[in-house]
Amino acid sequence: MATDNQHTGGSLLFDVLQQHGVQHVFGYPGGAIMPIYDALYDSDVQHFLVRHEQGAAFSAIGYARATGKIGVCLATSGPGATNLITGLADALADSIPIVAITGQVATAAMGSDAFQEIDVFGLSLACTKHSFQVRSVDELEKVLHKAFTIALEGRQGPVLVDIPKDVQLAAVEKLGIHYDQITNKVKLPPADVSKALEVLSQAKKPILYVGGGVGMANALDEVRQFANETGLPCVSTLKGLGAINADNPHYLGMLGMHGTKAANLAVQECDLLVAVGARFDDRVTGKLNEFAPNAKIIHFDIDTAEINKRRTADAAILGDLKINVPLLSMPLNITDWQDKIVTMKKDFAWQYDHPGKGIYAPAVLNEISEKMSENACVTTDVGQHQMWAAQHMSFNEPCNFLTSGGMGTMGFGLPAAIGAQVSRPHDTIIAVTGDGSFMMNVQELSTIKRFQLPVKIVLIDNAKLGMVRQWQDLFFDGRLSETDLSDNPDFLMLANAFDIKSKMITEKDQVSEAVDEMLDHNGPYLLQVKIDAQENVWPLVPPETANDKMMESS
Amino acid sequence: MNHYQLLITVDDKQVVLERILQVTRYRGFLINGMSAVVNTGTQIGTIELQVSSERPIELLVDQINKLIDIKGVKVDNRSSRQSSAQDYLLSTQYK
Repeated sequence: MATDNQHTGGSLLFDVLQQHGVQHVFGYPGGAIMPIYDALYDSDVQHFLVRHEQGAAFSAIGYARATGKIGVCLATSGPGATNLITGLADALADSIPIVAITGQVATAAMGSDAFQEIDVFGLSLACTKHSFQVRSVDELEKVLHKAFTIALEGRQGPVLVDIPKDVQLAAVEKLGIHYDQITNKVKLPPADVSKALEVLSQAKKPILYVGGGVGMANALDEVRQFANETGLPCVSTLKGLGAINADNPHYLGMLGMHGTKAANLAVQECDLLVAVGARFDDRVTGKLNEFAPNAKIIHFDIDTAEINKRRTADAAILGDLKINVPLLSMPLNITDWQDKIVTMKKDFAWQYDHPGKGIYAPAVLNEISEKMSENACVTTDVGQHQMWAAQHMSFNEPCNFLTSGGMGTMGFGLPAAIGAQVSRPHDTIIAVTGDGSFMMNVQELSTIKRFQLPVKIVLIDNAKLGMVRQWQDLFFDGRLSETDLSDNPDFLMLANAFDIKSKMITEKDQVSEAVDEMLDHNGPYLLQVKIDAQENVWPLVPPETANDKMMESS
Repeated sequence: MNHYQLLITVDDKQVVLERILQVTRYRGFLINGMSAVVNTGTQIGTIELQVSSERPIELLVDQINKLIDIKGVKVDNRSSRQSSAQDYLLSTQYK
């Protein structure tokens, strides 16, 4: 056991993690990371054993997204490290600050095709913000501090630190390095602010287009105040949901491929888009050269590379949103436009009076949203259920809606919910999943069982890969290729095997009682919601189509 | 096809050259030539890249500048035909 400043590489790792306030890590041991797991034995850091390294990465992401703190995951070399890769890619696409620690074969064996050796450092180049391989224990302390700084600084992202086994075992004296606090202050060219003010003051039909960067910059108060002071109508990306309070009368919800009709029509008509922490993603813009065709652009971002990447900005304001967004605050005279927005919002409001006895997934999710506590956090997987959750649930902060946006990774929801539950033990965590996605990381039910995590799982079950089936019906002449999941396991028996209380509902008159039972239950719970396999997500903007040419039925 | 020459100065750290090459390929630029002085034990490395692409060079410069160990990127010998990011994107069909 290490004492005072005398450490092994392994014990130094946990010392530095604690210096950064890390209390929980997610991981899976193996040969090349055994010295680190030996040091864990004496550490105060709590380890959550997952059942697949991908689960560790997604749990770290869920932890980070639910709290704004860095998530940490551990894996051994070779297959342990490669199993992390999808999680790292997900974190890179959604700018999530996680630090992944991988064991590596000893330095003398590196490059010899040793047992469980893979060049994870090389693999990491395409799926991390930055990565390190520590060749000497003398570098370790500095590298670990740097990993934490890089993960949080500027546009956040995943950092990998690969540590060979001999470095983990080597003796080292802790230097007691003090790491720099993150500031993210950027000096602005004044010309861009004055240009932005000019463009904003001239706009007759402006819209505030809010992205995931707002929550990540912890700029909710500033952006909401800006929206209130200017009176700007607002739309949100998938990752931005929760940034604008749902009771804002000029908030139209999500835009883009499955956005609300009101949001897409308003954006297509607007004469100014004020993009805040958003990146004009293809799922947002639809056909790019027909997106918001009459709009000028003011673009706030912390990442220079996002400016002019997909849409040229008339004024770009780089840096910390908390500081910069208030610079443009001014009352605007846009009453006619606001009135039109309110009318559109009313005319195109969601309807939940679905015919028949069967369960309408949007209505279930809307009911859960209305009944869940204010601090509840929802994770999703990827597919139809994800879009229904985005459309029909409301969130008061982005940290209460965790979904794989950029990468669209099936299997995200359950382990992300585990990470969120660990970070927020007193809040209700609800994993909304589909029968396809659920099976992608179903082994993490074992993690829920082991730690008795009270995660609520809402399994929207259509016995299909529903979103792919929808596209096959709409765009591939109904040729349903490999999307039938009618041989799914018995999900109630599966839940039972992990000591998870469960219930299946098949008709709409069962919904209300089942939702209450789930939310009132103290422990983990799986609610299987059987829905019509032919149900589609509407509206839908077809590929390479302008957002105002959305489909509303097949 | 536009041809560009980049002069990149770097903190001479592990795999900085690999990182630049990976970003260059991924962002849609073909490497036509390269000269690099790295891993020399000095603090600064220098890399000259000749690249070509239909895409405007600003897209690549911004992405290389985002890499952690980059000190600076200069563009020399700009081709006569300049295109903006918007021109490029509007001329392509995103699938």
